[in-house]
Amino acid sequence: MDLLGRILMVEDDPKDVELTLTALEEYNLANEVVVTHDGEEALDYLYSRGKFKTRNSDNPAVILLDLKLPKVDGLEVLQKIKSDEKLKIIPVVVLTSSHEEKDMVASYKLGVNAYVVKPVDFHEFVNAIRELGVFWAIINQAPPGSVRK
Amino acid sequence: MPLRVEVRRTMARANFYLQKARPVFLRYGLGVVCVAAALGLGLLTQHYGFRDVALPLFLFAVAITAWFAGPGPAALAVVLSIGFFDYFFTEPLYTFYVSRSEIPYLIVFVAFASLVAWFSAVRRRVERDLSQARDRLQAEVKERSEQASLLNLTHDTIFVRNMDFVISYWNRGAQELYGWAAQEAIGKRSDQLLRTIFPAPLDDIHAELLRVGRWEGELKRTKADGTAVVVASRWALRRDEQERPVAILETNNDITERKRREEEIRGLNEELAKRSKELEATNKELEAFAYSVSHDLRAPLRHMAGYAELLQKKVASLLDDKSHRYMTMILESAKRMGNLIDDLLTFSRIGRAETQMTSVSLDQLVKEVLAELRQETHGRDITWKISALPACHGDRSMLRVVLVNLLSNAVKFTSRQPQTKIEIGSADGNKDEIVVFVKDNGAGFDMKYVKKLFGVFQRLHQSDAFEGTGIGLATVQRIIHRHGGEVRAEGVVDQGATFYFSVPKF
Repeated sequence: MDLLGRILMVEDDPKDVELTLTALEEYNLANEVVVTHDGEEALDYLYSRGKFKTRNSDNPAVILLDLKLPKVDGLEVLQKIKSDEKLKIIPVVVLTSSHEEKDMVASYKLGVNAYVVKPVDFHEFVNAIRELGVFWAIINQAPPGSVRK
Repeated sequence: MPLRVEVRRTMARANFYLQKARPVFLRYGLGVVCVAAALGLGLLTQHYGFRDVALPLFLFAVAITAWFAGPGPAALAVVLSIGFFDYFFTEPLYTFYVSRSEIPYLIVFVAFASLVAWFSAVRRRVERDLSQARDRLQAEVKERSEQASLLNLTHDTIFVRNMDFVISYWNRGAQELYGWAAQEAIGKRSDQLLRTIFPAPLDDIHAELLRVGRWEGELKRTKADGTAVVVASRWALRRDEQERPVAILETNNDITERKRREEEIRGLNEELAKRSKELEATNKELEAFAYSVSHDLRAPLRHMAGYAELLQKKVASLLDDKSHRYMTMILESAKRMGNLIDDLLTFSRIGRAETQMTSVSLDQLVKEVLAELRQETHGRDITWKISALPACHGDRSMLRVVLVNLLSNAVKFTSRQPQTKIEIGSADGNKDEIVVFVKDNGAGFDMKYVKKLFGVFQRLHQSDAFEGTGIGLATVQRIIHRHGGEVRAEGVVDQGATFYFSVPKF
């Protein structure tokens, strides 16, 4: 297996975090997952500030971004990332509960790399997460400057 | 007209025409004839023994000549008279010799005759001027009275007032509008009589009137019977020869009804704006609600399904068959609810979303939808009969939802048929629209429930027979209605169903 890229997960719902991590664990993809619980925290991580001041400043290989987030919502985070020279090369996958077309259009307009609606069926959910993890953290050649283990 | 005046007028006119129009020889001829007549009469009276009649007769002839023929013939008459008088009536008779004693007599005669001629000439001139002035005046009076009666004929309200609002003319339209007769209005102040409310300070109005000679605006007034009236009023200023403003002609039109309607329309518009604002707010709320449903309702459902699955995995070996079934039921229900939410959201989105009308190739769309349904049709023995479909005018993504629903229904409700036949084609439409049908040989339905078919959550089959949320056909109907088309269905139990929809032609 190739090097595993670090995944930054931005998700406020602890149950979703747990289920997603469980799904990733099943395929040994959970080791390098950083979880942030709102948009502000995610940006703190990306800019290595606040409680992430001391972290290695490498970019994650992929960001799994929920849209409905406290404080700074997902679309705002996406906009910040895609308008920042250093951050915009990070692949961003929106992972959301909603089928809302408006959100999808807005996300693509902001330059999202993939848009995934979390399936209700857990099997499908696990499959989706696994495929995402495998594709973005392993198969996809992450842009230079991102963490590989 | 009194007879005396008429006669005088006729005389004056004859006199005028005679002097002006008759040729010169006629006028001088008149002088000669008059003098000759005076001579004849003088000789005749002398013959019968009357004395000293000739001189007054000659004076009379001169006066007539001066009156009717003017100064030239009068002078001729004077000269002839002197000649004849000297020749026929003064001693020595029948010569032109004038004795000394006769000279003053003749001088007095000449002076008197000249005076008569001069008086009559002056008199004639004055008379002529007077008659001309009177003719002018009469013509003017005639014209004015014709104008006034014309003003009376018009339906418009017209009155004339001076600069202090005192009314001097009041037409029939004014009487009809305000209810005051001319004799009641004339001499009164229009602003007081009609209790006028001006739209601007009176000084400003007058300033404009004096500057441009006109003013127009809306006035609120009160009729004689006390009802309020709104008029569109136009003022025109009249000035005298010295350019002093003397009168204002006011033309008024009753616009009370128009104002009332305008007021009504404004009210309705305001109401409409309010309603549409409310509607917009409601729509926003609905959108927020749908958004929240799509996010917040699905999340716990996913969690339920997720944890149930994890639990099932963990305790699978400990569970008996019944418990396994319970687990399966929980999972199936969660999945079903997820589908319901998705379908409901699609349904509600159709109502809210803007349609983007383009030319849509239905052939291409059918191909795409069939590819999408491949998973459901996999392993089934289905005979597709797909005819060429014309292009239509519509929202591509919405029409796609229509075809997905109708085709997946056809596939679903034929699942118990050993040999499935599904037909897609176009039926006869009219010149503006095309009719597309999807026909299957599946479970069909009883035509007496056809009305229920397109309602939300209406299902004609038990849920364990065919899966479904009961929203698909409602969504189809909503989309087609938004395209201005119609949907209908025909069916026979266990022999299949045919669904028709019409969409605008491209």
